[in-house]
Amino acid sequence: MSQALKKALIYIALGIWTVIALFPIFWTFSTTFKVAKDVQMGKIIPWVQYQPAWLGLRAIGLSPDTIFTESTPRTEFLIRFWNSILASLGGASIALMIGATAAYGLSRFEYKYAIWRNKDISFFFLSQLILPPVVLAMPFLVLYKELALLDSLFGLILIYALMVLPIVIWIMRDQFDSIPPELEQAALVDGCSSWGAFLRIVVPVALPGMVAAFILSVVLCWNEYFFAALLTSTKAKTLPVMVASQTGSQGISWWSMAAISSAAILPLIIIGIFLERYIIKGLTAGAVK
Amino acid sequence: MASVEINDIRKSYGDHPVIHGVNIDIRDGEFVTLVGPSGCGKSTLLRMIAGLEPITSGDIRIGDRVVNELPPKDRDIAMVFQTYALYPHKTVRQNMGFALQLRKAPQSEIDARVMRAAEILDLKPYLDRYPRQLSGGQRQRVAMGRAIVRDPAVFLFDEPLSNLDAKLRVQMRAEIKELHQRLKTTTVYVTHDQVEAMTMADRIVVMNAGVVEQSGTPLELYDRPANLFVAAFIGSPSMNLIKGTLRTGKKPAVVADGEAELPLITAPDAADGTPVLYGIRPEHLDIAKSGTKAGFKTTVTVVEPMGSETQVFAKLGEQKIVGVFRKRLALDPGDELLLMPEASQAHVFDAATGKRL
Repeated sequence: MSQALKKALIYIALGIWTVIALFPIFWTFSTTFKVAKDVQMGKIIPWVQYQPAWLGLRAIGLSPDTIFTESTPRTEFLIRFWNSILASLGGASIALMIGATAAYGLSRFEYKYAIWRNKDISFFFLSQLILPPVVLAMPFLVLYKELALLDSLFGLILIYALMVLPIVIWIMRDQFDSIPPELEQAALVDGCSSWGAFLRIVVPVALPGMVAAFILSVVLCWNEYFFAALLTSTKAKTLPVMVASQTGSQGISWWSMAAISSAAILPLIIIGIFLERYIIKGLTAGAVK
Repeated sequence: MASVEINDIRKSYGDHPVIHGVNIDIRDGEFVTLVGPSGCGKSTLLRMIAGLEPITSGDIRIGDRVVNELPPKDRDIAMVFQTYALYPHKTVRQNMGFALQLRKAPQSEIDARVMRAAEILDLKPYLDRYPRQLSGGQRQRVAMGRAIVRDPAVFLFDEPLSNLDAKLRVQMRAEIKELHQRLKTTTVYVTHDQVEAMTMADRIVVMNAGVVEQSGTPLELYDRPANLFVAAFIGSPSMNLIKGTLRTGKKPAVVADGEAELPLITAPDAADGTPVLYGIRPEHLDIAKSGTKAGFKTTVTVVEPMGSETQVFAKLGEQKIVGVFRKRLALDPGDELLLMPEASQAHVFDAATGKRL
């Protein structure tokens, strides 16, 4: 087979895969502009099969005719959007701070709890991911009720931090393991305290991994539905919950659901496009020499 | 500058002792190498001096302070690591100035000192590069620069040359020695390479299995090794150690392999018939003329012509013998060779204790 043909086949395959991968996103975005019958009849191509309408954006107060007017749906939507941002950034930040220090400890010091060693402790953290979140539903509901954290953004941030902590610890431990301990020792000899060596030498060197862990955590928190649905009701509701709540008594409002979904997907697409290389760099640790 | 005093230092990991009571006095300005096979405790000892490893018992003084409990940053030491341990996110300039910056030295002083160190080490063109943009030898220099800039009381080197190729190692060896002659800072240098130890040190401390086997100037160790370990460790190719029994009397000698007589000038203080090892350095063997009675018969196994000298590997019975001769020799494997040791250069070690007799 000639080189050109080979290349052509590869590009065709990649092209098909691109269409498959992008179609759901395209469908979500385009559905924002469909009316009920376009959705039900499975119309796909705008302007050819159906005439785009502002229905979806109007439902969240962002269509051209509603954007400059007072709009309750828009306020509602923006609060949810802002809640999602705060919950995911807050959860990821707390998880990163606690997780990075925990991972550093696991990477550099020897711990002994009865028969447990570092390896076992690390696995214990990771094993929390095996547990389905449903198991925690009742205990947390009771706990949050007692602590008056129900329907509070702070409560949501805390549980999100807890949720992504194992992943952060796991990524950061790998990252710290790849940094030779001589670096900190050199810093200690140069005049740093233990914390100084950690903050001035280890953290900057481990930054790619931290960025990766942070982005991954943000994404996971951003997409989280279960705890948000369980622990929030009006004040602290997030976007995923709002998406799910578009299935009302009058059937599913596809257009508004699609509009909110698009708004939920958009930040992730931006993260994916611009920060992808940091994620890869951070997750393929050991690049530091 | 300061002296370093190591008094009865012991170190155990749990119940497992690794250093068993080491005493070393290092004078102000002295260049001391700790040398020994891997796992002998030399690096651990160095790290205890640096404060990177806790001391189980005993004490370490730097100058007139006991530093046992001081963190590394308060010991006024600088350390060069085997892996260099340069900060990858800092430029050469920042790497070298980091310690001063931590001490809150004025920027002008940092600049001046970094510049001076860079001049000494030929690093001026590289000051704004990152460690990953440097070759192994340059990184090594930066690591040294980082130490020099601080002007510490003691330099600690932990096998700094073992990651370099052979040629660069010889060059850096000379540079470090020159640097020491220039700065006259007390230096403790750990290496497993006895050639490095011999060429650089004012004094060598030979360690083995957590104890000091002998300490002294390079030539003292070479000429009068205190025991079998030092005898075999120092010198390349290493000393021939031939098993035999001591014969005292008028013509003292060591009798090996039944009949070979290895001559001695004076009999050591031991009983006739004591099992001993006769030590003779390869360069202290001569080729005896055939027909003479002196010397012992060996069979040549390998000949290595090196140009300026010839190394001959031979066998006396089952024992291997190496000779180094400063002339060219026409020998073939299987040839018979009559070797004559210089009696005045012979060493005798007790076979039971390994001690010099």
